[in-house]
Amino acid sequence: MADAAVLPAPAAKRVPGRFWIVPPAALLALLFFYPLVLIVQQAFMDDSGMANVGEFVRVLHARFFLNALINTITISVTATAGCLIVGLVLGLILAFVPFPGSGVIARLIDTFIALPTFLVTLAFTFLYGSAGMLNAGLTEAFSLQAPPVNFLYSTWGVVLAEVTVYSPFVLRPLLAAFSLVDRGQIEAASVLGARPFRIVRQVILPAAVPALIAGGSLCLLLTVNEFGIVLFIGAKGVITLPLLIYSKAIQESAYQVACIIAVINIALSLGLFGLYRFAAGRLGA
Amino acid sequence: MLVWSRPGRIVIWLVFTLLFGVLFLAPLAVILLSSLADQWNGVLPSGLTTEHYSDVVQGAAWKAVKASLVTGFLASAVALVSGTWAALALRIQDATLARVLGVLFFIPSAVPSVSVGLGLLVAFSHPPLLLNGTIAIVMVAHFVLISAFTFGNVSAGLARLSPDFEQVASSLGARPAYRLRHVTLPLLAPYLVAAFGLSFALSMGELGATVMVYPPGWVTLPVSIFSLTDRGDVFAGAALTMVLVAVTLILLLGLERVTGRQARS
Amino acid sequence: MSVPAFTGSNVMDVDAAKIRGAGSNVHFDKVSVAYGAHVVLHPLTLDIAPGEILAMIGPSGSGKTTALRAVAGFVRPASGRIRIGATDVTDLPPYERGLGMVVQNYALFPHMRVEDNVAFGLRAQGADKALIGERVKDSLATVGMSGFAKRYPRELSGGQQQRVAIARALAVRPRVLLLDEPLSALDAQIRRNMVEEIAKLHRDLPGLTILYVTHDQTEALTLADKIAIMRDGRVSSHGPTVELYRLPPNRFTAEFLGRANLLPVTVTEGATGPKGFATARLGDALLAGAARGEKPGDKTLLCIRPQHLSLTGDEEHTNRIVGTLKEVHWQGELTHLVLEVDGTPVRVSATRLPVSLPERGSAVPLFFTPGDTSLVPEDVRG
Repeated sequence: MADAAVLPAPAAKRVPGRFWIVPPAALLALLFFYPLVLIVQQAFMDDSGMANVGEFVRVLHARFFLNALINTITISVTATAGCLIVGLVLGLILAFVPFPGSGVIARLIDTFIALPTFLVTLAFTFLYGSAGMLNAGLTEAFSLQAPPVNFLYSTWGVVLAEVTVYSPFVLRPLLAAFSLVDRGQIEAASVLGARPFRIVRQVILPAAVPALIAGGSLCLLLTVNEFGIVLFIGAKGVITLPLLIYSKAIQESAYQVACIIAVINIALSLGLFGLYRFAAGRLGA
Repeated sequence: MLVWSRPGRIVIWLVFTLLFGVLFLAPLAVILLSSLADQWNGVLPSGLTTEHYSDVVQGAAWKAVKASLVTGFLASAVALVSGTWAALALRIQDATLARVLGVLFFIPSAVPSVSVGLGLLVAFSHPPLLLNGTIAIVMVAHFVLISAFTFGNVSAGLARLSPDFEQVASSLGARPAYRLRHVTLPLLAPYLVAAFGLSFALSMGELGATVMVYPPGWVTLPVSIFSLTDRGDVFAGAALTMVLVAVTLILLLGLERVTGRQARS
Repeated sequence: MSVPAFTGSNVMDVDAAKIRGAGSNVHFDKVSVAYGAHVVLHPLTLDIAPGEILAMIGPSGSGKTTALRAVAGFVRPASGRIRIGATDVTDLPPYERGLGMVVQNYALFPHMRVEDNVAFGLRAQGADKALIGERVKDSLATVGMSGFAKRYPRELSGGQQQRVAIARALAVRPRVLLLDEPLSALDAQIRRNMVEEIAKLHRDLPGLTILYVTHDQTEALTLADKIAIMRDGRVSSHGPTVELYRLPPNRFTAEFLGRANLLPVTVTEGATGPKGFATARLGDALLAGAARGEKPGDKTLLCIRPQHLSLTGDEEHTNRIVGTLKEVHWQGELTHLVLEVDGTPVRVSATRLPVSLPERGSAVPLFFTPGDTSLVPEDVRG
């Protein structure tokens, strides 16, 4: 650390380098922070350009907003819990009960990080949609009148899709943490007669806690911000904050309302981002 | 090493197969299948066809592929330059300022993409900065959203670079510009390539901001997939999704080969 | 204002050095380094003569690497000036100091062939092609790596990489060569060979000034003309290598540079005779040792190296102490014995043993000549 801090300043008086940060910072300020400020400004200003919190308060109390907020938080928390469980189970097996080809599988799951999120939703409509494989099979087999499986068009559909899309974000840091667990320690515990459950609880989990916290808070952030999955499912009852911003701005051209919701969404996201940075910082990542 | 008994392992592997199959394998397989489906009213499609793919090569779908590739390339290239620039420039700031700026450069990754799009609409719909309705606003949106990733990747690479290389170069008489060109950047190359690949992939799949700002005539792949499925043309949507997946995977695998070769050399 | 002048004189100085083929002296003038409130180097004043090898040794955290990095320009002194030759380099960036540097992990540029690594400094300084080609050839020949010019660093062993790193530093004809723990990453056997290689290198380039930082006293004793022993950010002792070993000025130096037995004694008679030995009392025995101006009654330490103690000798010897034999470790060429003399453990490295080895617990006489001993003051820790 001392080295890194010392390196760039060999002779401080002669290094004009401090100003090199200006171009990229200015670019980001213009293209990102300036629009962000305008969103906040629009949220608290009426048409005549006067500061006015009336509209803000009205939106805050509106049913459509509260529903979206509750939906967003419920989906995000449930999906994150699902990601943690799925990530942990997959991670434990991949790291400690490996099978031929488990390395390839781990890489395959990892590439899901780079794939578009709505892919999973689209696939789910073929699998679990009202005319999907599962329903078609069940209706044929039991000669039913209506499709029996309907969860896709509820919050559960969104949650399941988000678990698929975001559990790799838990798995990645978890596998990194597991690779640091001393195999000798596990073998020693096994020799001493500890059952797998006990080893997981007493040896492996403590090592994995920081990774779980970091991965979990990242999942919270990403699921709060998720847009594609919710848009593609297109269920009437499942409106989240990002979707509400989209429909207010693009479909209703109600920009001020969109800005007000965006301010709250951004505040929520930045709070979660802070949580993630804090967790990742504790982790040393 | 954790579970020693054979039956125990088999049970565990079954659990894994089930989870992996339902969550990861089935979606990919079913998208592939539906992109080739002729009609699909029962459990399985009634017939297979490559018609959806031949549609992609002609007409509107091909334009979407092109729009996505161009957007992805340009936005990633600009993000790579600005991210690398920022990461390098942050090293010569004092520690506190560097930490604050570092967080600021990361923030775009935390803000919902829809809000980024909304912000651009609000900010750039009037002269002198009229971008709304142009292709540029799509590029800007993608650039903003991926800039944090390139910045993060390059910063991570810089942190792993032993300071010895640059110090030895300086002691041998290399001025900062020469050192950057001949030592720092070549050593960072694997991270630059990885950053470019990941941001390209993210740009290819970007939907939230694009759907807010895209002008007519510059419909990217995800937007075009959405409008296809929204119209009920799910098979064509699936085919286009497969194209998107294929392009993304080819990009990632190709870049991995490049970085792999560099890491070995 | 003064910067262009420094740069000008710097260039001239480098040219002069090229013509003479000689190195410059390095002068530390009250140089101190601090990270915030933490002082890692207390004001240091030291001179390295042109063509001299100065080894800075000391435990980790003693400030030796910081001193080297201050010369290189990677650490900015909190106070004091550093001069190389006639140039005050304190405010010069590293790339204008005309140095060569070799670090522990070689830091060869992995994306360049050996020849491009060696050519790096000259190319960076804009030298012309013919000169670069010639210098690369020369430098690689100097370190015996001529056949490896087209290889990549990853295709070389650790020892070979370090030779290339030295060639790279030599190619720029540095005024001073900085070696920062250059051999620490190598295996013991290769390290011994490399020490001899560096000694040979300095015989071939006698004008080259070398600052050699190491924690290994063997490297320092083998290579250095002078040694500076660092402790807690200060120079504990500084002097010609042989003198520092034979007449250590304090306990820390005696114990850090080789192994030493230090027996607490009381001076009975100050320096007398042509050789200047003082007489001191240890228990019942009266012993003679090289003096440092002690006066009768002073309490001090008598330093005897383990290899200078002998189990065999005659009663005619001036110095004779008796100890109780505690341990015997036979190691082939040497036998290590531990005895207790007046409550102090004493180590003996003997090449020859009496025909019948005394039993453990028995009293054994030890013999040594006054010329092999010196009186060493106890450290006063600040």
